[in-house]
Amino acid sequence: MLPSIDLRIANIVKALEQVVLPALTGRERLAKDQVNLCIGHLQMIAQQWRWAAAFEAGSFHAMIALAEQMLPSVDPGYAEELAQAIASAKAVEGQGLAAVEHAIVALGGLIDRIILGEDGKVALAPAVWEAVLDYGEKQALRERTWFAATGLDPDRQELPSIAAMMTA
Amino acid sequence: MDDSPLLATCDDVDVWDRSEMEPRIRHVLERTVRLRDTGPYRPKSDGQVTDMLTRFFVAKGLEDIAITDVERMSGGASKEQFAFTLVHRADGGGERLVLRMDPLEAIAQTCRGREGEIQAIMGDHMPVAPVRWFDADGDLLGQPAVILGFVSGVTQPSDGGGQGVSGMGGQLGALIDQLAPQYIDALATTHRFDWARAHLEFFDAPRANSNQAAIWQVNWWSQVWWDCLVEPVPVVTLAERWLRENAPVCDRPMLVHGDLRMGNFMFEESSGQFTAVLDWELAHIGDFHEDIAWTMQKLFGAWGADGVFLVSGLLPRNDFIAQYQAASGNAIDPARLHYYEVLNAYKCAVMDLGQAMRASVASNNHQEVVLTWLGSAGAVFLSHIVQLIRKG
Repeated sequence: MLPSIDLRIANIVKALEQVVLPALTGRERLAKDQVNLCIGHLQMIAQQWRWAAAFEAGSFHAMIALAEQMLPSVDPGYAEELAQAIASAKAVEGQGLAAVEHAIVALGGLIDRIILGEDGKVALAPAVWEAVLDYGEKQALRERTWFAATGLDPDRQELPSIAAMMTA
Repeated sequence: MDDSPLLATCDDVDVWDRSEMEPRIRHVLERTVRLRDTGPYRPKSDGQVTDMLTRFFVAKGLEDIAITDVERMSGGASKEQFAFTLVHRADGGGERLVLRMDPLEAIAQTCRGREGEIQAIMGDHMPVAPVRWFDADGDLLGQPAVILGFVSGVTQPSDGGGQGVSGMGGQLGALIDQLAPQYIDALATTHRFDWARAHLEFFDAPRANSNQAAIWQVNWWSQVWWDCLVEPVPVVTLAERWLRENAPVCDRPMLVHGDLRMGNFMFEESSGQFTAVLDWELAHIGDFHEDIAWTMQKLFGAWGADGVFLVSGLLPRNDFIAQYQAASGNAIDPARLHYYEVLNAYKCAVMDLGQAMRASVASNNHQEVVLTWLGSAGAVFLSHIVQLIRKG
């Protein structure tokens, strides 16, 4: 068999835990910290890699849905540009990761501009506020779940597993 | 808690005037952008650190200098830190010191001059690491840095369940009763400090009875966000607008530590006695509610054995508020507290999803694995922003 991604990650973690860490002297505290974080990152990557493309696509899809929700309520000065940006983004859905990341920056940049309203000169409709908050709540839940394994989230016990989230 | 008015009408600044910023902060942020492309940053070797320090101490007029036992320190998410021993003609016995040095970019871009100046002064009021020298712009060392006396102690007891990154996420256990009053006292002492008589060189103060204190903070962190932007995050932008449109008046600006929380106080494990209040790099003159809201953030606290959430791992929220008010004489205004809870969640999101990610992408730090680890907590703050704005 060819060495799989899971097998290689497990091998690297073992090497770091059982060979590299014990070889570091007590004085090398920063190096020890960094090796431990490398192990943590690798263990997270092992949980995430199967879902990485789907996760990014889901984030992009959610941003397009936000733009569509905003469209009826944005200031008329933004409406045409936003409609065009939504159409351009939809054309990218399903393409490779680099194209999706580029499109998130483009669509997200326009959403940012609408939210700021030319530094407060253009009002933001209550429906747009609510749409952004609703999107933010859902997206934050996805991202907290994605990174729950860091142990930093004080409410991580309420989060689903990555697999449960991605297959829901 | 009182119910003082949230918004005022006199002496206020234009909430969208992005030039409203403390001058020294603007200097640091502009320097960050100017130097960003000179990376990537490589962690310093012991030999490089010895050479830098030798040149520095020669420039300071020390003679017969010997620098020994250079040792990298762990902890902290932003500065490159080394312990070392300095011996010179006037101090043959030598002193153990700590070099806290800026990498090219970190999770928070701050000023070693401000840190050195305020920490030196606050040493007269509470336990802090003594400031021996600082080089605010790195004119002598090559990188901005502060040199501190070495202080012994721990930030978590050895049975604290394993210390997380940057001192977060542990348990203070049986030492809580000893630590909590000292923590409250450190906050109250900071806020009581008479900064107006201190002739601070690296700090400016916002006007009293104005929204300037809040807008200076919004402009500081929003400039960081836009200077660092890797990927748009609509909730961060919405929070910026909310913070501008809801900026409260600060009636009496006070010294704000800016990062007083679990992990930023050191104590003797046997007695629980504070040995140093750490990390003054975010200190500024502003609204004391900012410190109260900061320490109340969930990420900086811990769940107690009885399932009650403890502010900074020390006290339930209501007990913390009551004890702080009694110790400081400051009445906490719930509306201002709410505003600064949003501001602090915004600041943390900016650090995690903006500055940390930009430094990592540019490879401009000495420990990018820490930055990407902390960056992954950004969504925790986004979630808080949504909850807080909805609470409104």
